[in-house]
Amino acid sequence: MKVIKSFVNLFGASISLDRRLILRKENRYFLLNETLKELVRKNFFYAGEYLGKIKNGKFFPSFNLLTMIAKQKANKIVVDEKTEWLFICGRDIFKRGIMKIIGSKRKGNYTLIMNRYGECLGFGKILCDLDEASNCVAVKRISDIGDFLRREKLQG
Amino acid sequence: MVCKEIVKAKLTCYIKFFIGIFLYLHLMSGKEFFINRYKELGWKYEDIELKQAIRINTINAEEANIVERLQLRGMKLEKIPFLHKGYWISKSKFSVGATSEYLLGLYSIQEAAAQIPATLFTELKDKLVLDACAAPGGKTVQLADLMQNTGAIIALDVKKQRLIALSNQLERCHVVNTMVYNLDARQASRFKLKFDRILLDMPCSGNFATDNEWFRRRTINDVKRNERLQREILVEAVKVLSDDGEIVYATCSLEPEENELNIDWAIKTLRLQVQKINCYGEKALTKIFKQQLDNSVENCRRIWPRETQGFFVCKLKKIDDAI
Repeated sequence: MKVIKSFVNLFGASISLDRRLILRKENRYFLLNETLKELVRKNFFYAGEYLGKIKNGKFFPSFNLLTMIAKQKANKIVVDEKTEWLFICGRDIFKRGIMKIIGSKRKGNYTLIMNRYGECLGFGKILCDLDEASNCVAVKRISDIGDFLRREKLQG
Repeated sequence: MVCKEIVKAKLTCYIKFFIGIFLYLHLMSGKEFFINRYKELGWKYEDIELKQAIRINTINAEEANIVERLQLRGMKLEKIPFLHKGYWISKSKFSVGATSEYLLGLYSIQEAAAQIPATLFTELKDKLVLDACAAPGGKTVQLADLMQNTGAIIALDVKKQRLIALSNQLERCHVVNTMVYNLDARQASRFKLKFDRILLDMPCSGNFATDNEWFRRRTINDVKRNERLQREILVEAVKVLSDDGEIVYATCSLEPEENELNIDWAIKTLRLQVQKINCYGEKALTKIFKQQLDNSVENCRRIWPRETQGFFVCKLKKIDDAI
């Protein structure tokens, strides 16, 4: 629970999650609703909304959690269509691809990456102050929705 | 001397046995064997090329908006006339499974006939639903979409490896009302629950339209084995179905043993009745290889491969003893 809250705070955001409805299964966290909470059995494989997992002491968020954060006041940058495509292919973001900045512009901070429809594509770390930056790599990609495709390929 | 005679007799016996098996497999399998069966059932075999189909996930997006976005990307979409949210892709410059819209869960890639079963349930909102053979999860996501993420779905699959694909689908499409278990559908009563709706998307022999090697790979033995498994799953489903609940039974097999003959058996053995449904497909057959089946079997739908892959679907309810 604490690990999730700390992660959300990285984006200058906060979300309230009902502790009773969060289930931990090995290293993975799930958020249930009241109906599922009543029905769930210990040996489930997946339940409700997947929030993320801890691996080697590090928290890896799910895209559900990123979408939840994106609905709040949080650091976000909106990118153009070409940058959106490059980002979901696993590339970093150049300054010229950024259409709008919401929240922090400071180097070292984390930000959600949004497309022009307001949908969350993933997140990254700001590499240089966005006010000053020339046309260099502005945001380093950490996670993007192209991951679903990579997972499919891994499963063969 | 006697010993030699015994060995000789045994050897002859083995040889006869293996020749028997070889002849059985040779005669009861292969393209010609299956095509002749289809002919006997009233369908003339034809090669088909399947069109790729998608289904818009309306829990995540407005259908019209997504269609417009995909068209702007250069995708040519054709509304599937017999489905609510289904489109055929007539042309696309890039992979349909690699767009942002797909990765954001705004649509799913789902073959046209496979989009039919989940739509046959009456009223799904707030219901307790069992998806008994759920992986890879296309129909699970569709159920959640039809339920608008209300109620609860319990999704089972016997193969743990397939649960990863299922879980990825649920995460991608923002499904929040589903619990996934690594469990054989034949053990569903372990939950000690009664379900309002049960989807039996049965493990089956498949059909040639989705597998180029189908005729080479399949024998009548596979069909018989699947028939037995499907009956066992049906028995368990009836145990966990609430009295006024509904079962939708579906296979992508063309073989009557996995379809009409199983349903005829279920009517006679499990006190189930076939409900009338209004969907794409032909009335199912009530006479199979000279065997007359219960007339209500015609309420099932048989889909021969043409615009879609081969498919069979029906809706079942328990017989109401009060009537």
